[in-house]
Amino acid sequence: MIEIKELSRSFGAIRAVDKISFRVETGEIVGFLGPNGAGKTTTLRMLVGYLQPGGGSIELDGQSIFQAPLAASARIGYLAEHNPLYDEMSVMEFLRYVGSLRKMKKGELHHRLDYVIDNCGLEPVLNQSIKTLSKGFRQRTGLAQAILHDPEVLILDEPTSGLDPNQILEIRELIRELGASKTVILSSHIMQEVQALCDRVIIINKGRIVVDDSIGNLDSYIQGYNSVVLEVEASEPDFSPLLASLTDVELDSVEQRGEVCKLRFLCPPERNISRELSAYAVAQGWPIVSVFTQKQSLEEIFHELTREEEESAEQAMLLAGLEEESGHADELEITAETHLRADIQEEEPIPEKEQKEEPEEDEEKIP
Amino acid sequence: MSGALIIARKEYQLALRSLGTYIIFVIFLLFTGFMFANTALKIRLAELRGSFELMHILLLFYIPAITMGSIAKERNSGTLELLSTLPIRLGSIVWGKFLAAMLLLLTVLLSTLVYLALIAIYGIGVDYGAVATGYLGLLCAGAAYIAIGLFASSLSGNQVLAFILALAISAVFYLLRYVGDFIPVRVFASVEYFSFDYHLRNFLKGVIDTRDLLFFAVITYIFALLAELRLQAQNLMQER
Repeated sequence: MIEIKELSRSFGAIRAVDKISFRVETGEIVGFLGPNGAGKTTTLRMLVGYLQPGGGSIELDGQSIFQAPLAASARIGYLAEHNPLYDEMSVMEFLRYVGSLRKMKKGELHHRLDYVIDNCGLEPVLNQSIKTLSKGFRQRTGLAQAILHDPEVLILDEPTSGLDPNQILEIRELIRELGASKTVILSSHIMQEVQALCDRVIIINKGRIVVDDSIGNLDSYIQGYNSVVLEVEASEPDFSPLLASLTDVELDSVEQRGEVCKLRFLCPPERNISRELSAYAVAQGWPIVSVFTQKQSLEEIFHELTREEEESAEQAMLLAGLEEESGHADELEITAETHLRADIQEEEPIPEKEQKEEPEEDEEKIP
Repeated sequence: MSGALIIARKEYQLALRSLGTYIIFVIFLLFTGFMFANTALKIRLAELRGSFELMHILLLFYIPAITMGSIAKERNSGTLELLSTLPIRLGSIVWGKFLAAMLLLLTVLLSTLVYLALIAIYGIGVDYGAVATGYLGLLCAGAAYIAIGLFASSLSGNQVLAFILALAISAVFYLLRYVGDFIPVRVFASVEYFSFDYHLRNFLKGVIDTRDLLFFAVITYIFALLAELRLQAQNLMQER
């Protein structure tokens, strides 16, 4: 179990990590997500004791890792962001070197070496110099190094970067296996990975935690729409009678491709309208080619959440600017202008769905 | 085995695999061979003091060359992050690198014994006692230069900078004996005490003075400690 409280760290004037707190239990795999420069790597580096925090505490089973740093680092396995390795050594030499620096006993080291070589698939490159390894094998060597001493806490900074799809699956399987008995924190910018691996996700942006919740609950952070895609064999089918009875559903797009017409409907996430749609299509005598529901992906949620944060931060800054400078009439105008401009810019990238709300409202008003 | 010894063994093994080590090695041996030949054949003297003094000058360049990469390279390639998160003390890293460099120095000094053997074979009398203390003196001065080199290497990820800085600091300690011409005699007495040459002189005469041993030990310890402090400070100041 690892717990951090009010952890902060600044680099000069930049506040890289700003009072973040969370707790990870044993047997939990937590995904650490955020855009570049959000403070992921800084946080992980503090967790492994490589960087000194500016404030706050990091506790491993209730004991600060700075009280007994050597004992703490013996319990932590760490794969750093750029996966540093000694190029001149062979894979076997490197693993033995790390093992001996971790003060592993001969028998134990031998046993664990067999395990990591087997599980990380390092057999074919054991005596190859690390300099000549492909990126995938480098990454696996780094991971092997991190789990060599069977640590209780595993901290992985982008563990699958540079791997091909098959290797990614293998490594994910290994991480999942390890996660059953260990505390695993992995950072990633790949949403599918977090979705596939983690029980819980912590999204940070600009050094602050935006979301800390289980993967399943993420949907609730966003009032989005699910889209249902229906493909029927008909030319320009008319769904308006059905839509008139379903007030919370709207037709997003219609695409005719030869015989088949592809329609996309938007509905609230808690509703499942595929049954109504297919029943209606069958009643009209249109053969159904396919029907499926598209949930909003983690990617979209991530994008929305980090963007919202930026917007509100910008607005807060602008408001603060307005208050501070209210004494100076000239400057006030300028600030107000920038505020307006910022508004215009922010309105532009609003997703299509929100714009689509307007016609729906109109339709409601007309009857 | 302690962390420092494991690091030392790995560093020494890797150094012996690198071509650069051998190039520096050969250059050192060429120069020292030339010096030994000069004293023994031209001057017809087995007085090796001159050779040792010239070897001292060579160390000024040789040691920064073997220590410049020691920590700077780890920092540059990111392996320092790996090493600092293993359960070993930062001091072990510095002393491990120190031991490896000492081993390299010992290797190169031992191979100059070939020249000594040649001089002995060609029958000009050699004062073996003075030669032994001379080598000991070079090792002691070498230890201090290595610590200086490690400190310079710990400062940044730039090996060239580490070389220049190590050379500059070492040169200050070397050149202190020549500042007598510019400063009052009374001041020079205390300044001269910090000159490496001043302490090496006794060794070359065949005298082992504990004060000289202590002087080199203290200089070595101070610079190794500075290197360790630099590694600790990186945790607080690292900008990446």
